[in-house]
Amino acid sequence: MPMELREKIEKHLLEVKNPSRYIGGELNSVVKDRNKVDVRFAFCFPDAYDVGMSHIGMKILYSLKNSRENWWCERVFAPWPDFERVMRENDIPLYGLESLDPVKEFDFIGFTVQYELCYTNILNMLDLAGLPLLAAERGDDCPVVVAGGPCVCNPEPLCDFIDLFIIGEGEEANIELLELYEQMKKSGEYSKKEFLRRASKIGGMYVPSLYDVEYKEDGTVRSVTPNDESAPQKVTKRIIKDFDKVFYPEKFVVPFSEIVHDRAVVEVLRGCIRGCRFCQAGFIYRPFREKNTDTIINEAKNLCETSGYEELSLASLSTSDYSDIEKMLSEMTEYTEDEHINLALPSMRIDRFSKELMEQLSKVRKSGLTFAPEAGTQRLRNVINKNITEEEILSACTTAFGGGYCGVKLYFMMGLPTETDEDILGIAELAKRIADIYFNMPDRRRGQKLSISISCATFVPKPFTPFQFEPQISVEEINRRQRLLLDALKGKRYINVSYHNYRISVLEAVLAKGDRRVGRAIMRAWEKGCKMDGWDELYDYDKWMEAFAETGTDTDFYAHRAMAFEEIAPWEHLDYLVSKDFLIREHKKAMDAVTTKSCREQCAGCGLNKAVGRECFGKN
Amino acid sequence: MEKTDVRIFFEKKGRAVYISHLDLLRTMQRALKRSGLPVWYTEGFNPRIYLNFPLALSLGAQGEREPMDLCITEDISMEELAARLDAVMPEGLRIISAAAPVFHNKDIGFAEYTAVYRGSLEDISGAINDFMAQDAVEVRKHSKKKGMITVDIKPHITVKNVYEGSGGICVDFRLPAGNELNLNAALFTDAFAEFSGKKEIFCELLCTKRTNIFCRTGEVFA
Repeated sequence: MPMELREKIEKHLLEVKNPSRYIGGELNSVVKDRNKVDVRFAFCFPDAYDVGMSHIGMKILYSLKNSRENWWCERVFAPWPDFERVMRENDIPLYGLESLDPVKEFDFIGFTVQYELCYTNILNMLDLAGLPLLAAERGDDCPVVVAGGPCVCNPEPLCDFIDLFIIGEGEEANIELLELYEQMKKSGEYSKKEFLRRASKIGGMYVPSLYDVEYKEDGTVRSVTPNDESAPQKVTKRIIKDFDKVFYPEKFVVPFSEIVHDRAVVEVLRGCIRGCRFCQAGFIYRPFREKNTDTIINEAKNLCETSGYEELSLASLSTSDYSDIEKMLSEMTEYTEDEHINLALPSMRIDRFSKELMEQLSKVRKSGLTFAPEAGTQRLRNVINKNITEEEILSACTTAFGGGYCGVKLYFMMGLPTETDEDILGIAELAKRIADIYFNMPDRRRGQKLSISISCATFVPKPFTPFQFEPQISVEEINRRQRLLLDALKGKRYINVSYHNYRISVLEAVLAKGDRRVGRAIMRAWEKGCKMDGWDELYDYDKWMEAFAETGTDTDFYAHRAMAFEEIAPWEHLDYLVSKDFLIREHKKAMDAVTTKSCREQCAGCGLNKAVGRECFGKN
Repeated sequence: MEKTDVRIFFEKKGRAVYISHLDLLRTMQRALKRSGLPVWYTEGFNPRIYLNFPLALSLGAQGEREPMDLCITEDISMEELAARLDAVMPEGLRIISAAAPVFHNKDIGFAEYTAVYRGSLEDISGAINDFMAQDAVEVRKHSKKKGMITVDIKPHITVKNVYEGSGGICVDFRLPAGNELNLNAALFTDAFAEFSGKKEIFCELLCTKRTNIFCRTGEVFA
């Protein structure tokens, strides 16, 4: 049987782009004897191989599950449309890359949900697997379909399709879930229903079929109540307490074809001390925890040696907030320089960008620098609690230009709460001031051209942030503000402005804040052919709008309506340990343009330390 | 010791045939890095492990004896080098040998291939005879200078043997390779597929292998 599928795949593989993505066999991929394993898990990343293979969470959970001898975790990605066509035309079902066995035969199918725009891919992958899309239609003979990742902090739009959501961090929860399954299978007590009931008692497991949702006449949620005594009233997210000791892979699967982030990655810290009010990750990944420098160095060496990667990235939400960044970097560069390894430091904050840091960075490679002021005026930066001053931005740029850099990339967001035209024009003013610094440098290098790239995303209100209550501005208004900025920068050839497609941002907002009823629209959109919505060239706005209209889904209600503080949000039965009172407090401060200090400077009382039972900083 | 040139011969089979030429370069650089061998890095802004492939192999084709050049910076036996590199290779890539290069890249003149078909020996052997009895075999080919051009490849094809081998009916053929005229094996197999299709002869191409590379003088490239 399995050879047959491999033959079918290989027969058509040369017809598609980057065929090595679909056949497995990569270095460090884990192959086991299918007859000697008890639990098989298909780890599905609902996007292309190039994106999914870059994702660190998948690497962690893949290695973690495979560290159990009798469990086998395989990788599965969404096929690019050219290969999907081959699959559908030749009856090739969705399969795991390690065994090339159909995922339909596995015990678990697990999706990691990193962004809203992959929801249709989840449906498409279930369909390619040959499974019913609706959880209610999948019986005991079907794999258990689970999902985790940041987007499941509001899993409601996906509830029709997923059996169980893992809320919070996965390293311990995944093990506990699979152990329960293995035990129930071995003792003969397994039925899907009973398994889900028992799983719901493990912390962090949300089984949507065990909850009933009632709505008010105005369309908002009246209540979410368990319909089974085993299910908790509120599902609390899982947290790894000792982050320094948490499992980390010694090996990465090394792809043959080039992927988005083709490098070794060490996660240096989790959580964020900043509390930018638009940023979901900054709240749902709390509390801030970091690894010891020795742990980081060891993990980095291990990975570089077993992969042969020539680039190493120190990843986190804000790497420059690592408490002893300079010592850690100097130890790290000692190793990487000897080994000809490039060190990449994404997520650096402007206010932590020093001459010393820059010198460490430029020892290895002098590529562009990227900063994220997020807003064009100080007032708006205070509203969003970015806690960065214009002086800090300009001084970071002075340092960078003085150090030989001639390009900076700046990230901004448009449509932020309270934003006015003045704030939009402020982006242009800031860019011009940065350019002036460069042109006034006495010893600037000849022949090098200044390049300032401005990249503007559109604000999307996200659950578990102080801005969850905020409406997104209309498509027409985003469009107008974008043009306003473009006009303000006319004729400045060294300033390049790029935008996220604002028609995508609306979809993101609806899916991020949607309730269970939005599931019907996702289904309809998929039926109309929507998939790979995160890819500009494949996104079909009109089809999505049709799907919303045909299912009676009011996009204004979800995306463009302000939520009252007392309204029950669709995700309120999930507890991310950041209290709603805190979010409301932060929202009020935002409206007054008052900032909140970083967690390291002063505890803002978000509620996490109470839940964890210890202070986040200081005496632990 | 400054640096010493080494020519490696390797095999590319199984799932490794789907590694494109560009990806192969990265794959080999990473393997060399894992091996810890004293390889020479390019100088300049972004030092990289120096690697050169004298003759690219097209995507999907197997290679039985593919050359790859690199430099080493410490004295090490060629046997040890080959063994250490082989030990860190991914599935489908095997190191056959390592030695000082004998010839220059520019000396490469032709290569030999085997195309393996599903079908009957009689049918395929007859079809190959008819195919080669044509006055010309015109194919569309990409030229660096002129873009797409039509060329008659018939004078350049030598069919050496058609026989029943393990895995199917094998057609051994030879095509020019290297700097002056480089003909991809697919030019032959595609043209033959079109020809046999018209004659309604069943011959499904299972795989194409490059079996060896030769100098213009006829000596085996080493």
